[in-house]
Amino acid sequence: MAPSNLSHRRTHNLLLISKLLSLRDTASPFTLLQDSLEQPAAPLVKEYIRRAKLSKVHVTFISYETLKRPDGVDAFISTRRKTPTEILREASSAYHQDTGTEPVRRRLIIIDSINPLLNSKTLDPGFHLPSILGSFIAPSASSNGRAEASLVVTYHQDIPSQPQRDHYSPPPLSMLTYLATSIIALHSFSHILARKAARDRSFVPPVFGLEEEQDGVLLSRLDKLAGTGAAEGVVLELEHRRKSGRGVLEWYLLPPASRYSPHHVKEVVTLLDDNVLYNPPKEAETSGGNDEPQSTFELGLTDRQRRDREGVVLPYFDAQQGDGPGEGGRILYDMGEEDDFDEEEDEI
Amino acid sequence: MPSQPPLPPLLTPYLSDQPESSLTVISSVLGATSNWLVLRYLHASLSNTANSNISPESDGSIGSTSRRVVLVSFMRSWDFWKTEAKRLGLDLARLRDKRQFVFVDGLSELFTPPASASSSTVPIGSATHATLPLRNRPTPVPGRGPLAAGSLDRSAPNRPVQGDASNSVKLHFRGRGITALDAIEKDIISELDRQRASSDENEELLLIIDQLDLLLAATGPGLGIGATEMADWVMGLQQHAHATVLTIAADSPLIHNAATNVHGDRTPIETEHAALALGLAHRARTVMQLRMLETGAARDVSGVLRISRGGGWNGEAKHSLDEKELLYYIQRDGGLRVFGRGES
Repeated sequence: MAPSNLSHRRTHNLLLISKLLSLRDTASPFTLLQDSLEQPAAPLVKEYIRRAKLSKVHVTFISYETLKRPDGVDAFISTRRKTPTEILREASSAYHQDTGTEPVRRRLIIIDSINPLLNSKTLDPGFHLPSILGSFIAPSASSNGRAEASLVVTYHQDIPSQPQRDHYSPPPLSMLTYLATSIIALHSFSHILARKAARDRSFVPPVFGLEEEQDGVLLSRLDKLAGTGAAEGVVLELEHRRKSGRGVLEWYLLPPASRYSPHHVKEVVTLLDDNVLYNPPKEAETSGGNDEPQSTFELGLTDRQRRDREGVVLPYFDAQQGDGPGEGGRILYDMGEEDDFDEEEDEI
Repeated sequence: MPSQPPLPPLLTPYLSDQPESSLTVISSVLGATSNWLVLRYLHASLSNTANSNISPESDGSIGSTSRRVVLVSFMRSWDFWKTEAKRLGLDLARLRDKRQFVFVDGLSELFTPPASASSSTVPIGSATHATLPLRNRPTPVPGRGPLAAGSLDRSAPNRPVQGDASNSVKLHFRGRGITALDAIEKDIISELDRQRASSDENEELLLIIDQLDLLLAATGPGLGIGATEMADWVMGLQQHAHATVLTIAADSPLIHNAATNVHGDRTPIETEHAALALGLAHRARTVMQLRMLETGAARDVSGVLRISRGGGWNGEAKHSLDEKELLYYIQRDGGLRVFGRGES
């Protein structure tokens, strides 16, 4: 990758991820996090909550699989035995309760796992996913005015989806990726490194966890590098759709939460390409970059010497003229002024 | 061979330390069952006063808090657990009388029609017979006594209530869908609450659910029960216990068929079971995966135990959790050895 390109990406894309994670300017109203057992989305969700707290954003946590209220969440909504409409109503009332008289606050709505909702057996046939998700972020019609809301939804990729009830509607994942304004796929950093190491040697990249398809293996994550602190972190593969329609693809690295304080304001996310483990710095090259062998003799040619050398007619060209046998094949050389005549060698 | 301590020192930190509202998922395969691990959980929780001669490093962690345990078993009978626990030196019957341990029987009468209607009418009889093969899934357990077949066979319908098991709670599945699950849940929760009400401040209540996938397999989407409903059901129970341990099968066909045949034919049980098992693993703090040796059978290794952090592990510093892969060997006398690869 050309260095100018990398520095351009560094400026723009770091700004972008900072804007997305801190929910500035409603850059992405609907973010889809695609995680797996190998790399759960919990660290990223924590980071969202941490940043929301720093910028005083109201956080609503809609729990499909979390038992305990996470730290820093303003409203925690359990979804057990509730229909989507009830959840929706509860989420909006919790917000209005908390921000009754205050000026408009930005909102962050987190759904910790959308899979149970998609796989539920008790949904009524009229359930329409886009309209439910849309009504979470649509500005409420109350007097509170327009509150900017961002929705962050986690989808577990490894949980198989149900067979379609309606064969003419797209599968839920297609629907979600179509609706999302940003899609973040999460990968484990050590797995990314292992895959890259294999690719660099043209080996088949290794697979982990469920993809191993081994009997009895659900999870492979064994943090062999845990103590060293080397390959910790979460790799984020971001696809962001700008309002203009242009897409941005970038890979980032989110360091583990223990590396920075909870009140750290500066950006902690870095580009994956900037990581020394992923992209080790090239060995110091010799200046000038010429690849000729070093010696005490002058092995190069001056321009004039090169021109003269090109002017030499090689013997086999002469031999092709067909002057008859015995003719041709001579070395034709015009002596230059700097040449010495050597009787023994230049005998013709 | 010298007799082994009931709790291997390598496993003790995992067995005795469950933070509040944590979920531990034990996944097993047919050749590497989870009974021994459940028994070790029982032992670690219940035997703190009885055994003072366990290994010295475990004294500090166990001795501080005593536990009460509710065991909900869908695949094994009371007799099985009682006998197996006795081999570890744990008298479950006595603990049950002391109300420190409660056994909830989800096996023997789960699908038995109510007693009033059980006057051997034809449709009811056939219904119970249809469900029996599911429950009698043969699982070879290494190093287990010859009691399995006998104890399961006696769980025929309309068996007279034994005096031994008279005060154990029996679960009944009636109706369909969420209402049926709710009824079962209510029965278990009432037991949990009774345990909690009678316990001290510092006593932790541990809920162990053994093979809850049987409930899903025996009902299924046809009865309006799927992975979401089961996971919801577990969450309802979790709210009433300090910590929850549950076991689930993770055999390849149950997990991988649904993922690989995305367009092909996959049965509802493959989809639902995979969704349930993986969903629970996403929720769990600890996932203990039992499997057989990849390299084939060995004389001195029963299987592999891999301890991983699940999706619900939230990086807490107080309860650290080391990921590990260990080999285990269950001896003929029920003793257990746990060791790392290459050690013995």
